[in-house]
Amino acid sequence: MSPSRGLDCLHVRLLRATLRTAIRRYSAWTEAVANPQDKVQSYISRSRDPYLNLSIEHYLLQKSPPDSTILFLYTNRPCVVIGRNQNPWLEVNLALLQAAKDSPGKPTEPPALGSVDLVRRRSGGGTVFHDEGNVNWSVICPPATFTRDKHAEMVVRALRALGVDRARVNERHDIVLDQGVRKGAVDEEDTHRTPYTSEASSHKPRPLKVSGSAYKLTRTRALHHGTCLLSSPNLNIIPDYLHSPARPYIKARGVESVSSPVGNIGIEIEAFKSSVQEHYQKMYYPADANGHTSTVVGEEQLDVADIREGYEELKSLDWTFLQTPQFTFSSHPTEEDDRRRPDLPVAARVYLKVRFGSITEEFVALADTSSLAVDSGHKLRLDLQDQKLHEIHDWTAVVDKASGPHNARAGSALGAWLTSMFPRNEAGVMNVGISGALAPGVSTVHDSSGGLQSIQAALPATLEKAFWV
Amino acid sequence: MAARLSIARAVCQISSRRTCAAFRPVRAQWQQPYSRSFSCSIAARAKKYTEDHEWIELSSDGKTGTIGISTYAANALGDVVYVELPTSDLEVKAGEAIGAVESVKSASDINSPVSGKIIEGNSVLEEKPGTINNDPEGSGWIAKIEVADSGEMERLMDEGGYKEFTEGLE
Repeated sequence: MSPSRGLDCLHVRLLRATLRTAIRRYSAWTEAVANPQDKVQSYISRSRDPYLNLSIEHYLLQKSPPDSTILFLYTNRPCVVIGRNQNPWLEVNLALLQAAKDSPGKPTEPPALGSVDLVRRRSGGGTVFHDEGNVNWSVICPPATFTRDKHAEMVVRALRALGVDRARVNERHDIVLDQGVRKGAVDEEDTHRTPYTSEASSHKPRPLKVSGSAYKLTRTRALHHGTCLLSSPNLNIIPDYLHSPARPYIKARGVESVSSPVGNIGIEIEAFKSSVQEHYQKMYYPADANGHTSTVVGEEQLDVADIREGYEELKSLDWTFLQTPQFTFSSHPTEEDDRRRPDLPVAARVYLKVRFGSITEEFVALADTSSLAVDSGHKLRLDLQDQKLHEIHDWTAVVDKASGPHNARAGSALGAWLTSMFPRNEAGVMNVGISGALAPGVSTVHDSSGGLQSIQAALPATLEKAFWV
Repeated sequence: MAARLSIARAVCQISSRRTCAAFRPVRAQWQQPYSRSFSCSIAARAKKYTEDHEWIELSSDGKTGTIGISTYAANALGDVVYVELPTSDLEVKAGEAIGAVESVKSASDINSPVSGKIIEGNSVLEEKPGTINNDPEGSGWIAKIEVADSGEMERLMDEGGYKEFTEGLE
């Protein structure tokens, strides 16, 4: 027997021992989650991976005892999170996401946002941008005791304890900061009014949204999760990520996001987490003298088979794109969608019907004039039937093949335009880190905004759109 | 009428007591124009409800069921903006999710009251999800299912039982 074989044996033994410990540890964790005696549980994640954090959260929703209440806090690296029934081509600037992925590690001016993941979550609601200045809070409880406001109210109490006296729950179950001057005393216990709340229905200046809510209700459990915007350095560029160039042409079923002006609260992240935990404890086990204890979770939870499975699903392009409710894309007004369209860079007509991410109908035509008859001889057969929209990477080749040499110039212009409408996107594919790369399209925004590095504590930053519907 | 009732009673004797209990609130149906031939299956066919606020009603041959959500649930959910329908041939057990509705930022699972195989989703809801709010126990039905074991119906609440159940929630 050679010495190296002895070493191998030792390695194998060590590896086995480590694996055994790991399995024991995770089975201990899964048992603790499902422990029927443990009616109030609390978790905090050290991972910044949005797919993992949402998968851990989903596991807690499914496996915790039906009569238990769970708190889970986590922060994600920069990502755009769309609602369960939303359309990524409509809600997100996919080209901007892809640009950052295509140039990893490229040295840029700070603050470089780098790679931004696209995630479809399992709860309802609208599109939201997350980054490390945002804390997500999540409460899972029995449906019988669930209301849409009760945990937003808990977070308002946590914020007020930190001196944020403008915070309240609004009629959309979100948390806002009232703006303007103090109007008079109100009941301090009232989480739906502050001394700054305006009686006027127009609410000017408009309250700023700092936390948006979304829910997932199953047969046995109710999940309420929300963002909480504390100190995001990216407020100025968020609108760029949430603005799709295809929006004027898309008519979609499903859920559309509602724009709200948003702002940073400007408090410390750790202080916020502690305050939420404290107010959760006050609500659910006030008698415990030991204080709040929470279990730290992270990458190691991927060893739990159900979490791994949910994680792989969330990361898959099929989940991100094929779960899209039916929509049509039309370059010109139609009977069902008569909005005026922005002019195309080429005389063409495009109509696509997309069902569950696959093209079910196409009409594409090129013309020398903009007055294009539908029965024009320039109709192109792109043979897109049943193709998955997100898998068409080279629109120029697709159009060129159909348009032939006579229409080469118009064909490539149309191909380029379609590429800008439906950019290649590898959302869901893991990428390296968050530092470094900056999408080329973003740099002008940075330049014009100037003071992005300074965190805008409690200052209004009006966005054209953002944060959960 | 008496003959019909006696047939029903005979059937009740060979089925469980729960079926007989379920027979009582069918009164409302007697008042409607009615052309079903075997009243013995009326008790089994009568609309039943789950504690998760779904309803199911069996076809006249008792082999297929129509599933929807109750008026109480439709009111509680608020405006439905999207319905995720089940695909045909989906095999489910009682209590498993067959789809979901989205309303007021909430994705809510819809569960099958019984085991079986989905035959059809209500395609009207694709274009008009609000039909669930307007007519939850009629044209707002969600799916049709081939029922594996109609005996599972007996575990469900009848209309009266469900009414009491929801009153207890308020």
